[in-house]
Amino acid sequence: MKTHNVRRCVGLILCSCVLMLSATAQNFDVKTHTLKNGMKVLVQEDHTIPNVALYIFYRIGSRNERPGTTGISHFFEHMMFNGAKKYGPGEFDRTMEAAGGSNNAYTSRDVTVYQDWFPRSALDLIFDLEADRIENLGFDPKIIASERGVVASERRSSVDASNFGILFEQLYATAFSAHPYQWPVVGWMVDIDNWTMDDLKHHFEMGYSPSNATMVVVGDITAEEIFQRAEKTLEPIPSHAPPPKITTAEPAQVGERRVTVSKFAQLPIVMMAWHVPEAASPDFYALNLLETILLDGQSSRLYQRVVDKDQLAIGIGGGFGATLDPTLFTITAQPKAGIEPQKVENAVYEELERARKSAVSDAELEKARNIVLANFYRQMSTINGRANTLGTYEVFFGDYHKLFTAVDNYNKVTKEDLQRVAQKYFADKNRTVATLVPEKEEAPKQ
Amino acid sequence: MKLRLSTILTAFILLASAAAVAQQAAAPSLKLPAYKKIKLKNGMTIMLVERHTVPLIGFNALLKAGSVADAPGKEGTASITASMLRKGTKKRTADQFAQELDFIGGQFSAGATADSTSLSSQFVKKDINQGLDLFADALLNPSFPAEEFTKLQKQRLDGLKSAKDQAQAVIGNYFNAFLFAGHPYSRPTEGDEKSVAGITRDDVTKFYQTYYTPGNMILTVAGDFSTPEMEKLLTEKFQAWPAKTSPAVTVPVPTPFTGKKLLLVDKPDSTQTYYRIGNVGIARTNPDRVYLQVVNTLFGGRFTSMINTELRIKTGLTYGAGSSFDRRRQPGPFFISTYTKNASTTEAIDKTLEVLKQLHEKGVTEEQLKSAKAYIKGQFPPSVETGSQLAGLLTELEFYGLDEREINDLYARIDAMTLADAQRVIKQYYPMDNLVLVLIGKKAEIGEAVKKYATKMETLEITDPGFGASIPAASGAK
Repeated sequence: MKTHNVRRCVGLILCSCVLMLSATAQNFDVKTHTLKNGMKVLVQEDHTIPNVALYIFYRIGSRNERPGTTGISHFFEHMMFNGAKKYGPGEFDRTMEAAGGSNNAYTSRDVTVYQDWFPRSALDLIFDLEADRIENLGFDPKIIASERGVVASERRSSVDASNFGILFEQLYATAFSAHPYQWPVVGWMVDIDNWTMDDLKHHFEMGYSPSNATMVVVGDITAEEIFQRAEKTLEPIPSHAPPPKITTAEPAQVGERRVTVSKFAQLPIVMMAWHVPEAASPDFYALNLLETILLDGQSSRLYQRVVDKDQLAIGIGGGFGATLDPTLFTITAQPKAGIEPQKVENAVYEELERARKSAVSDAELEKARNIVLANFYRQMSTINGRANTLGTYEVFFGDYHKLFTAVDNYNKVTKEDLQRVAQKYFADKNRTVATLVPEKEEAPKQ
Repeated sequence: MKLRLSTILTAFILLASAAAVAQQAAAPSLKLPAYKKIKLKNGMTIMLVERHTVPLIGFNALLKAGSVADAPGKEGTASITASMLRKGTKKRTADQFAQELDFIGGQFSAGATADSTSLSSQFVKKDINQGLDLFADALLNPSFPAEEFTKLQKQRLDGLKSAKDQAQAVIGNYFNAFLFAGHPYSRPTEGDEKSVAGITRDDVTKFYQTYYTPGNMILTVAGDFSTPEMEKLLTEKFQAWPAKTSPAVTVPVPTPFTGKKLLLVDKPDSTQTYYRIGNVGIARTNPDRVYLQVVNTLFGGRFTSMINTELRIKTGLTYGAGSSFDRRRQPGPFFISTYTKNASTTEAIDKTLEVLKQLHEKGVTEEQLKSAKAYIKGQFPPSVETGSQLAGLLTELEFYGLDEREINDLYARIDAMTLADAQRVIKQYYPMDNLVLVLIGKKAEIGEAVKKYATKMETLEITDPGFGASIPAASGAK
């Protein structure tokens, strides 16, 4: 099991898109239309396969929550599949699957995203289903009780049953003391058990205004037919005020923070994190290239040093993603049996110090640019990848056109910029370290 | 990211559609793009298919020998051999390989399954010459440096410990060991603590020399190129690879288990019980495979499936539940898989068995059949959208002795399926009374309650080496 590529996809995908635009601009024709209620619709036609990927991004996530209702954005994401007015409980999935479609959704600290994948023959149905749940979602207490069990099981899987999950949660809870990024997207178990019907309704009213959403449609359709359907089914839905602005900013960290998780395990884990800026920051591009040099591939600096040369860990991975507020750059390694996590930490710190002290080579910078470009092509090779990327750019960079200006931003990044961001962000005082310490809890013998 | 479907369930769906067949609800049919198949004089099979959406070229090579060819007691040899291919060649050190590959943004991976070994690579079009050179170098010229072998072996041993810290990562190994006891499909592809420790560099070299021959190799290249030019490049690269006879890898037909047997693996920190229930399923080429794809979509292959409806949608017992036929050269495992909190373990297992019974007793309806057909057809096209996907699919079909008809006729085969076909394959292929149950959970909390599922309960500690291969076979006959 290699961990050295986990968790970096978001950041990588984003920065990759940026570079490639010049190369593919000619067949990357995005049409947009803003409905009268404020919902923006982006469409890109692609007739390679007779299918469509439709994404709706709502600008609401766990950053919009408060203590006591943590995880409610994610829980609400589940409730969006549990019945509305025209399509009752179970009908959303049943109807969509019978028409050849499938769906999913994800919630992050910043957004809640709904995804539909379907043959073009199901287009009318999909708009009908989406409009129904945005306008007339049902709140059945029995279904809510059952869905609490589902989400609790999801939490047990992603946290209790994953040592990486447990530790990652503690890392964020320790690194952030003021900003809402401190609590887990899935929510604390006690909150999953306790939020109320009123909390749910309040969340819907806060986050699910059409003006707070962006729709992206890519595939075997025309822009006109999408705009027509959006005007007919979604435009009549009234808008209301968006979620309140998040005013809390995380104060600058003034010294290293450390946290330990002790539990039954065979191998330890160590996670290190540094506060880094949001996607809209001009440092985003330099940090992304630095991330690639440090962590991408078996030739990366940290893999070479920690896994290959010093043989301290079985894998190393990390990076940072595109976020609305300042986030964490994380590095995760699983030490080999008998290796003290501190030894892994020290090797990582030495490599970061090297990036702070001297500039990377020209070849490394060129390699990072090549990797970013190749990854961009991979992301663009499916209608699904394009829908997700366009929406992510629109939401996190404020405008999908930023794809185009970002090309310049990327090309402007110099070796000196990489050294500057390494010095600025990879400082000891800005660091939080979480360590999982194995305990040999004896299982009862028969 | 908090996906609504569990990764496990998603994997089932992918497995069901990608490994299987194709069509599309609205379109009259879905045809594979034209491809060219050539056979080099040394016996190597090469297929070429153009896809010009993005400037990428994908390579997918399959070697007709996987972990089934591992020597007994040396489980993991095929897998380690595959991982060693890039760790030093006659032309490049492991570091040089990594530097060159990453510099052009290329990807390279190699790994084994029970039946075969796969290598896949992807490069940007402009770098194709260097990319092909890297790919061919790993395949044709590995030198298996002793130092790199030792490094990898140690990583693998610790990787096994890491995997056992997560029930979902290892439950398949325990299930296959218990189900296929004594048969080659019982053996863990990545090996276990003991077998990996015993593998030597010589074992790896010998595996390579024995099985990596042109006659055992199928290579498909797909993407943004012109077929004549690519054919020339590939012929130049591979025609000098000397032909060589290689022992055929044979797999006996596994016998389904009769009766009920139960294994509980104690993982004392568990808050949920993970389990698999099943028996021997079907081979890749089973003539009823399309019917079973349709039926399993309804039973455990999509969100509204019978299993997920009962265990998630109606009861909230789990985040996700599904079922899968792992189709191999010979019949592979069929299993239902899910997890639930410790306290609801027997409630969930009881319901699982009840849904299986209902499938046998009530079968499926005309409306359900129609829905599953539309679903499979509607979801298939995105699985053959990219060059890399096409390369993987064509290679797989060739390995199993199938061809493009598997895709091009799929639509017609699904449409021709009747309710009677569905009822027949349910009776024929879904187990009901003969079941193998494997659980990973907290024995102190669930051990007593789950004993009822078989006359005898076998137990292991999660920290015990291996995956239970030493448990005596055939302990559960009625």
